[in-house]
Amino acid sequence: MDDQGCPRCKTTKYRNPSLKLMVNVCGHTLCENCVEMLFVRGSGNCVQCDTPLRKSNFRVQLFEDATVDKEVEIRKKVMKIYNKREFDFPSLRDYNDYLEQVEDIVYNLTNNIDVENTKGRMEQYQRENKDIIQRNKAKLTREQEELEELLLLQQQSNEQRRLEVLQEEQRQLQAKRKSKQALLDELEQSKLPATILLAQHKVRAAQLETQIEQQKQNVKPTSLFSTGIQIGQTVSLQPLPRIQEVLYQYKPLQVETYGPPAPDLEQLSRFGYESLLFFFILLHIQGSNPI
Amino acid sequence: MKLNIEGLLVYFPYDYIYPEQYSYMLELKRTLDAKGHGVLEMPSGTGKTISLLSLIVAYQRAFPLDVTKLIYCSRTVPEIEKVVEELRKLMEFYAKETGEVNNFLALSLSSRKNLCIHPEVSSLRFGKEVDGKCHSLTASYIRAQRHSNPNQPVCRFYEEFDAVGRQVPLPAGIYNLDDLKDFGRRKGWCPYYLARYAILHANIVVYSYHYLLDPKIADLVSKELAKKSVVVFDEAHNIDNVCIDSMSVNITRRTLDRCQNNVDTLQNTIHKIKETDAAKLREEYRRLVEGLKEANVARETDIYLANPVLPDEVLQEAVPGSIRTAEHFVGFLRRFLEYLKARLRVQHVVQESAPQFLKDIFDKVCIDRKPLRFCAERLQSLLRTLEIADIADFSAVTLISNFATLVSTYSQGFTIIIEPFEDRTPTIANPVLHFSCMDPSIAIKPVFQRFQSVIITSGTLSPLDIYPRILDFRPVTMASFTMTLARTCLCPLIVGRGNDQVALSSKFETREDFAVIRNYGNLLLEMSAVVPDGIVAFFTSYVYMENIVASWYEQGILENIQKNKLIFIETQDAAETSMALEKYQEACENGRGAILLSVARGKVSEGIDFVHHFGRAVIMFGVPYVYTQSRILKARLEYLRDQFQIRENDFLTFDAMRHAAQCVGRAIRGKTDYGLMIFADKRYARSDKRGKLPRWIQEHINDGSLNLTVDEAVQLSKHFLRQMAQPFRQEDQLGLSLLTLEQLQSEEMLQKISQMAHQT
Repeated sequence: MDDQGCPRCKTTKYRNPSLKLMVNVCGHTLCENCVEMLFVRGSGNCVQCDTPLRKSNFRVQLFEDATVDKEVEIRKKVMKIYNKREFDFPSLRDYNDYLEQVEDIVYNLTNNIDVENTKGRMEQYQRENKDIIQRNKAKLTREQEELEELLLLQQQSNEQRRLEVLQEEQRQLQAKRKSKQALLDELEQSKLPATILLAQHKVRAAQLETQIEQQKQNVKPTSLFSTGIQIGQTVSLQPLPRIQEVLYQYKPLQVETYGPPAPDLEQLSRFGYESLLFFFILLHIQGSNPI
Repeated sequence: MKLNIEGLLVYFPYDYIYPEQYSYMLELKRTLDAKGHGVLEMPSGTGKTISLLSLIVAYQRAFPLDVTKLIYCSRTVPEIEKVVEELRKLMEFYAKETGEVNNFLALSLSSRKNLCIHPEVSSLRFGKEVDGKCHSLTASYIRAQRHSNPNQPVCRFYEEFDAVGRQVPLPAGIYNLDDLKDFGRRKGWCPYYLARYAILHANIVVYSYHYLLDPKIADLVSKELAKKSVVVFDEAHNIDNVCIDSMSVNITRRTLDRCQNNVDTLQNTIHKIKETDAAKLREEYRRLVEGLKEANVARETDIYLANPVLPDEVLQEAVPGSIRTAEHFVGFLRRFLEYLKARLRVQHVVQESAPQFLKDIFDKVCIDRKPLRFCAERLQSLLRTLEIADIADFSAVTLISNFATLVSTYSQGFTIIIEPFEDRTPTIANPVLHFSCMDPSIAIKPVFQRFQSVIITSGTLSPLDIYPRILDFRPVTMASFTMTLARTCLCPLIVGRGNDQVALSSKFETREDFAVIRNYGNLLLEMSAVVPDGIVAFFTSYVYMENIVASWYEQGILENIQKNKLIFIETQDAAETSMALEKYQEACENGRGAILLSVARGKVSEGIDFVHHFGRAVIMFGVPYVYTQSRILKARLEYLRDQFQIRENDFLTFDAMRHAAQCVGRAIRGKTDYGLMIFADKRYARSDKRGKLPRWIQEHINDGSLNLTVDEAVQLSKHFLRQMAQPFRQEDQLGLSLLTLEQLQSEEMLQKISQMAHQT
């Protein structure tokens, strides 16, 4: 970290701890003073790579590796255009392919590979997907949403806790003051000896303590509505997706037997089993609805 | 002797048994019957290990389908060896009694450093080096290269094991680490991989905590252990800290610099490979696109850097597209690294939660949560593809990627604290990022879920109910046993005042008070005149000890003490301490007598026993509270309060008292042993502190031993020591605290025992 310095005036962080390094779109650093000096007219060329630069595009270098600064810059720009979400794709595989494509573009732009072509591709994409880009602008990704929710929850519970502690303290203070006052009153008015009164007071104080303890345990967080929906949660009002169901269709039962095929009705009557069959049917009817 | 424990025939390899051992086994059997978890406390020196082993082995023999395996976890290698020796004794007894050779297989497992027999590799000094070197000889791609290039060095022991070792199972028997090595040498097999393979079908496995609790190691070693196992955590009073340590990550500036080098190496290697062997990268890419599960592709030696615990659904999914190709992934790492560097450049302390961190990282360098979650997995795959042999070099980048995976996986129970400097040296910039786990139940949860019985046991687990709360499980038995004694061989004294009635305390306000320090000195001086042989004194911290000893020197107290006994001091340096310990024992041995000044929570207080004359008295100067200003501790206390409704003070006192109990417990290592336990702080006399001591110590604290002055304590100890010095034979113990089989079976004794277990 100490050997970081301006490539033009050779000042380092070690010699000048308040040195402010700036970086522009090309990813080369300059210190603040040099920027002021070289870009008096508002624009100029980079000292190292001769890229035409504007002064207004200079920003403070956040990372030690200036290329990372440059990459993040480019990435943010690219992300503005390539802002499709996971649900815009039919499958996870497609989404992953898309992510990789984005990554490729960023990589090319950062490392100055095939810049013209890549830029062309970006523009083409922008033209083709104008409405999707517009639509997704305000939307966060699913994961971002989750994070926001978690943060919100945390904030809520912190606030809740703070309030609870405050209330608890107030309540305790009041209760104690009350019991003290009561003791003084009794001492003033009652005819009982003071020692007994004091003892009584002690018992009451102990009871109070235990009561407070119990209350502490009983306090429940009230971050839920009675319906179970969290307070502050955004409820989606979209209609529930209709589930397409196929009607039930009867299929004749196919019993697979390994023995000989069962005889049909005609055959049975030929063998003289008809009456027996009738009997069975009768039995069956009786069995199912007893008379 | 043969015991009948609720219908279970238990072989016990000794002629005599302590009553508490019997009742311990009863409780243990009930736990196993219920197929639940248990918390059992029994004083050290009453034969916990052998009771555990003999009951569980008997249970395994009686119900081989219900309990298939015993996993015994201990803390250190010497402890592991001790367990194996006890087991050997038990098995010999079985062979003698039943007359048949049983087919039990028991073995211990340790790191490569303790098990390697390769002449070059085993000569390395550090565990990391051994692991790295071993990996460079046994990785699957190295061995594949050997097919084309016979000059490529490989480990012949592993080759031999791989060729034939798996077909022939390890013959039944008891193996400690040396036995394994011997066996390996005889057969020419690698003992480490042999042991790792053999634990799958062994009946008893003895190894260290980390093999189950550290998710990185557990994933490799203990993944395939059967559900119907009994897991025992011995000496488990510190188990919550082990859990927390295994999930926490600390990142310093140096880690990041090393990581930078790693990333550069990765990039160069990728460039090189692209020119020579682009097909390899394409192959990896194809695999990642397909979303094939890595574990199926990797062989056992490759999984050197396992990923931290991930939810299963993540593992099933394919790696996200943004880090699929090697270059993109390196770029991703670079951005992450630069982000961390920028975060470490802070002037003040920052504390934030995981979601906050994730949001910030998205805003600053556009890194999503999902690729972060796959970071560890992706790095492993890359390292394997690049065929980088010496993986020890890449520990920094592995650490970073583990951190990335953890921070994006868990949104609860973790906190991130960035400190620009240490509290002690506020002028020197030494930024550290602590990613600290606050919930020990995260690491231990898989263990409780997976195994049918988990037993947590130690000499000091009081108060018992706090462990189930902080580890978040529901035990079926919780019991605390005391030591039955024929004579009261321990004498706890609470010294609250000096001879001049100055209250003794190590609390912050009186820490610098000369009167307190002088009185502490007096206490030690007078004790050194009364107590024979060895005295061990514990202080609350190294700094406190240094201060006190310095002012004792100025006041001339040290000189006076040295007339009675030699003084040795524990330091932070391990070698120096073990030297001091050796000399201390020598001085006790030859009758000169010695005092060892050491620190609670230090090495001496945890692992070293002072049997008989090595420790006739233990003096605990002050209450060993943990350093409460530490931000990590504060965050953890807050978390405990919110999630488990444990108040800060309760936890701090609990933590201090378990360490105090550990310290004073060092003196008594058996029933023939005796020792003084002196608590030199008036705060010990309060019931909230006293009530948190183990029951076997609490029982002997009566009103007469509270809030003593130094003089009174000396009088009491003189009396106690004179009593204890009388000859004591085994016959005196028999029938009271030591039982033969007949005595055990007598009606009266059984009744007594059944009342003994202190249920909570």
